[in-house]
Amino acid sequence: MTRAAVMAGQLLDESDVVTLLHTPLAQLEKQFGLEGISDRGLSEAELNRAIERGLITTLMNELSILLRPAKGSARDILIYWSRKFELYNLKALIRGKLHDLPYEQIRESLHILPSLISLPHEQLLRTEDIPELLRQLEQTPYEGIANQARRVFEEKNEPFSLDATIDQRYYTGLLKHARACDIVDQPPLLRLIGSLIDRQNLPWLLRYRLNYKLSPTETYYLMVPSGRQLQPDLLKRLVNMQEIEQIVDALPASLKEQITEPATIMGIELAMAERMTHQARRCLMFSPSAVTRSLAYMMLRELDLKRVFAIIQGRVLKLNEQLIRQAADINPEVLSV
Amino acid sequence: MFKPLPMKQVMIQLLLEDLPQASLTLAELGSFSPYSAEKYADDFPNIPGNHYRNIYHQARSRLQKIEGHIQLARPAASLTTHVISETELTQTNEWLGEVWERCSAYEEHFRRLTDEAHMLTQLEQALNNFATLNIDLTLLHGERLFLDLHIGILPSANVQQLKEAIGLANYLLFSYMENAGQTHVIILGPKGTRENELSSVLDTAGFHALEIPPELHDEPERIRHDLELRHLSLDKEKQQREAAMLACADELRSQLEQCRDILIMAEPFVTIEDAARSVGDLAIITGWVPEKVVKQVEAKLRSILPIPVSITAVTPRREEHSLVPTFLPTNWLTAPFSSLVKQYGVPRYGEINPTLVFAISFIAMFGMMFGDVGHGLVIALAAWIGRSRLKSFTPFAICAGLSATLFGLLYGSLFGYEHLFHAIWLPPLSDPLYMLSMALLWGIGFMVIISLLFIHNRLVSGELSRALFDTNGVVSITFYLSVLGGVYNLYQTGSFGVVPASMSIITLLALLAFKLIETHATPGERMLVATIETFETLTGYISNTLSFLRVAAFSLNHVALAIAVFTLADMMGETGHWLMVIGGNLFILILEGAIVTIQALRLEYYEGFSRFFSGDGKEFTPLKLSLEGLK
Repeated sequence: MTRAAVMAGQLLDESDVVTLLHTPLAQLEKQFGLEGISDRGLSEAELNRAIERGLITTLMNELSILLRPAKGSARDILIYWSRKFELYNLKALIRGKLHDLPYEQIRESLHILPSLISLPHEQLLRTEDIPELLRQLEQTPYEGIANQARRVFEEKNEPFSLDATIDQRYYTGLLKHARACDIVDQPPLLRLIGSLIDRQNLPWLLRYRLNYKLSPTETYYLMVPSGRQLQPDLLKRLVNMQEIEQIVDALPASLKEQITEPATIMGIELAMAERMTHQARRCLMFSPSAVTRSLAYMMLRELDLKRVFAIIQGRVLKLNEQLIRQAADINPEVLSV
Repeated sequence: MFKPLPMKQVMIQLLLEDLPQASLTLAELGSFSPYSAEKYADDFPNIPGNHYRNIYHQARSRLQKIEGHIQLARPAASLTTHVISETELTQTNEWLGEVWERCSAYEEHFRRLTDEAHMLTQLEQALNNFATLNIDLTLLHGERLFLDLHIGILPSANVQQLKEAIGLANYLLFSYMENAGQTHVIILGPKGTRENELSSVLDTAGFHALEIPPELHDEPERIRHDLELRHLSLDKEKQQREAAMLACADELRSQLEQCRDILIMAEPFVTIEDAARSVGDLAIITGWVPEKVVKQVEAKLRSILPIPVSITAVTPRREEHSLVPTFLPTNWLTAPFSSLVKQYGVPRYGEINPTLVFAISFIAMFGMMFGDVGHGLVIALAAWIGRSRLKSFTPFAICAGLSATLFGLLYGSLFGYEHLFHAIWLPPLSDPLYMLSMALLWGIGFMVIISLLFIHNRLVSGELSRALFDTNGVVSITFYLSVLGGVYNLYQTGSFGVVPASMSIITLLALLAFKLIETHATPGERMLVATIETFETLTGYISNTLSFLRVAAFSLNHVALAIAVFTLADMMGETGHWLMVIGGNLFILILEGAIVTIQALRLEYYEGFSRFFSGDGKEFTPLKLSLEGLK
């Protein structure tokens, strides 16, 4: 039995999540390493940050357990996956600098991460404009992203393209790492990452085309190639469509039937997330590849902890249960236990 | 000497407006370590100086960045201090902001010049490529009626995705050269409505257009000459920028040094953070001060501050000892040994200061393992000559050298020669078993001292049961000594002896009982864990004691290496002989010297410190003026 399989026992199913809604707050906080968080009289922003930090720490601790037996490319891909949190920081930094936000405000929005994947936050926060920030970034492992971001910033001077470019780089890098893994690990890994990319690609395709009115060419350029069901040929057809209904109609049948009518970007995003969760659970249970199981576990655990975050946050702020259920994506049909 | 200095927890009550002055005075005294005043948060809810702190951090960051371009002299040994007001700090910060803006502009311009030079190189390569083609380059220029054409470079990683993307707008992409992560491409497609679409995606993909001169075929030399001129012009501009930056540095240096001094003087109030709290016009500062200087601190503050201050100094209770910082006083002789102790960890407040035990035992073991008059004197002499490089570690190396010299006299060894003078004690190789038994005795003595230190430390922290029953406690050391006594009896008389046997059994059972009580698990697991841990105590003592055999082993090894050197030297002619003797001695000095140092350190850390010294104490870090600069 591998570590991922043992740790899979910690994953939450729907009834566990509902139980958390009614677990005494102190017990809930203790369970997720956030003892006494509700008694500290923190402001809403401080609370968010403290909860988020606690949950990311939990996730990183679990990652370090999975990393122990991993070597070479398997280890690299798991570490690379976790870099997504640093990319959240990178986007927050760039956005903050672009909007000239004060130091404290930007700092508040950054996750605290292990040094293995962390940028030199203090140094970057102390930069005084975007060009200086990018110059500093060029001295970090994110040099490639910095170069790309500089071009986008200089040509377009807006953060949206930067975010899109950063995401595209990240997923392309994830694929590259998967392709560098052992030959036996590659097919299941590519299937799992393909699902993750589909989940990223489709909602963003809709947003780029329908909300931001980007051209088909640019939309396709910003897509991450090698999705699982949304292959390049299909993506090329989809980016040329103008209406959400048209796009939904052109989707593979198995995907289309999961999308509830009337189709909305939010609804499609939820359906894609559900598919990805399903795929990750299958990988965790049945995949013969240890690195795929570990990656699937981390993906599922992240989703779980996001829901836990929503519940703890809602409970501490004494929000209405319905609101907490909505934030934690709890199916209304699942009754309280 | 043997224990950290006794500390007092002090609370200074003063006026809010006097906080910066008090912080500066405390920093000048260098005897006050701030400690969070959170327990007074109800009465003193505010943490003063947040805005000041923000300004300071920004100014400090700016100065550090500027120092990357402008080298500053070291701060003067003594500063004429004054309190830095928020206004003065703000002005300093703003001025540093202006200077940084200049430096940043220089950095950015320099980066652009480097990029341009890179683009120029790419263009040269493209032109070399085009020059060999038999095509009319004028076709690549000017407006065309039906064809939209772009020539340029883009990051190689983006080529495939761009190629597929622009295919949607009926454009084609051809790559003709790849170089340093950049691919040279030609993009062409039908003129019409989708040109804007293309330009946007090209920007996103990081496409840079390259200007191909149409006259390349007709006048290639002139084109190359033009490019060379552009390169030269870029180099010249870089040099001019560098010269301008140097001139700017000379112009601003003294003012920047003044700013640095201002920041040094502002730093104490910033560093004090939440050790200072306030309510209305009243403020407090809390922290730790060595007991012997409390009066001095009080007198100084009273003399400096216009309004009298109130200072209360309290002796920390035993349960507060984990919060008290450990102040290990050092002098020029103990400083290097103290640094090596701190490499392992800082003792908790109240625990024995292991520096002296470490220093004596390390020096002794180094000498025992490396005993040679010649080698020892060379080490001591080399340390003295290289004292400017070794700095505070000079006494450490000299002591090690003198110890080796002393043991060299005892062993009768000079540069490996064992017959030049009579050994005061004995040459190691003359009786290896005796040497090994001496090392064993040294090890036993070392272990006993270490266990006594452990017992003392546990008693100081009020852990009586651990002092008695834990591994290295009273029962463990009694067990160890009774087993040793029994083994000695067995060796001498053939019988273990009733007293050692009964002592061994009683102490073993006591250890087992303690482990059983301490372990929290199911009965079976508890028994298993307790048995294994008790067994581990026994094996730990045995293996740790045997570890000290290496002390004798290295003294034998030292002689053996010398013999090997002389054997090789004897096989050569006269010149070769002396070269071999000198080279061999150098080899012994460097290689064996390093190995012996590591082995002695290993014995100290692993067999010594790990047994009695948790190393998780907090070091006393007093507020002081950072005269070493801000880096």
